[in-house]
Amino acid sequence: MSKHSALNTFGRSGNPAFSRNFENTGALPQAERMTLDGAVNKTAILLALCFSGAFVGWNVPALTIPGLIIGTILAFVTIFRSPTKAGATAPFYAAFEGIALGGITVFAEMQYPGIGIQAIGLTFGILASLLFCYKSGIIKPTENFRLMIVSATMGIFVLYLVSFIMSFFGSGIGFIHSNGLFGIGFSLFVVGIAALNLVLDFDFIEEGAEQGLPKYMEWYGAFSLMVTLVWLYIEILRLLMKLRSR
Amino acid sequence: MNTVLFGLLAVLSLFIFMNLGKIKASKKQMDRDDRIKWGAKRKPDVQQNKDGSKIIEGQAEEVDDQSKQ
Repeated sequence: MSKHSALNTFGRSGNPAFSRNFENTGALPQAERMTLDGAVNKTAILLALCFSGAFVGWNVPALTIPGLIIGTILAFVTIFRSPTKAGATAPFYAAFEGIALGGITVFAEMQYPGIGIQAIGLTFGILASLLFCYKSGIIKPTENFRLMIVSATMGIFVLYLVSFIMSFFGSGIGFIHSNGLFGIGFSLFVVGIAALNLVLDFDFIEEGAEQGLPKYMEWYGAFSLMVTLVWLYIEILRLLMKLRSR
Repeated sequence: MNTVLFGLLAVLSLFIFMNLGKIKASKKQMDRDDRIKWGAKRKPDVQQNKDGSKIIEGQAEEVDDQSKQ
């Protein structure tokens, strides 16, 4: 039995776009290849759009739910339908997700003033420190590391989905939202997994630039980083709210 | 004070991301045998032989001497 038997069974990448685009990259001219500069600049564009959307969501909180729904649909379209068109869908995803985050932050601010800037500071602080750890080689992502993070992410997703469905029947998984020690511990775990997803995104972008993937993968790399940052921000906000409510 | 402190943290972190992100990762990170193979295929390559039998890459095939006769 292979050392990575689970990887051999389920495939190495959870994202179908990744494996598809790493093939046959040798024939591309230099100008049409993915670069680190391009991916970072496109992430900056998406962040700027997200902040602009957040400004709208902050002033018109009624747009929170529509922003969240449209943003989620655009994320699924980008991942499963058209990774090659990420340049067209990712900016809209960032803007709509920004509107949703602006609205969510207003609700959090009404209960706990100053919590929004704390969550933003911590999110970007984690981004910078993990990028440093990755670039310097302190954190070394391997196949087992990826298997662990992807499994934990899927587990959290399923748990949230079950909790969401149960909420329609007046029930739920209590500890997810509680401000007790178990609830805070769970939030810390989720923040940790969301943060380690950033390392996978960095590795994907670095490898893509090294292999000279097509230019549109810069948008796809920036988009995947953006999705992780949005998730990390929401989880940090939830954690801070739990801590402040004690 | 709280706002200024966390605001500064956010701005400084973004500045670090914008600059550090454009630099290539260290050799310690890149020159490893156990790096993630993002482009690896999901299933092993299966090719068709002239006689219709399948050749699976990386898998041994038993050769039957009698079939040649």
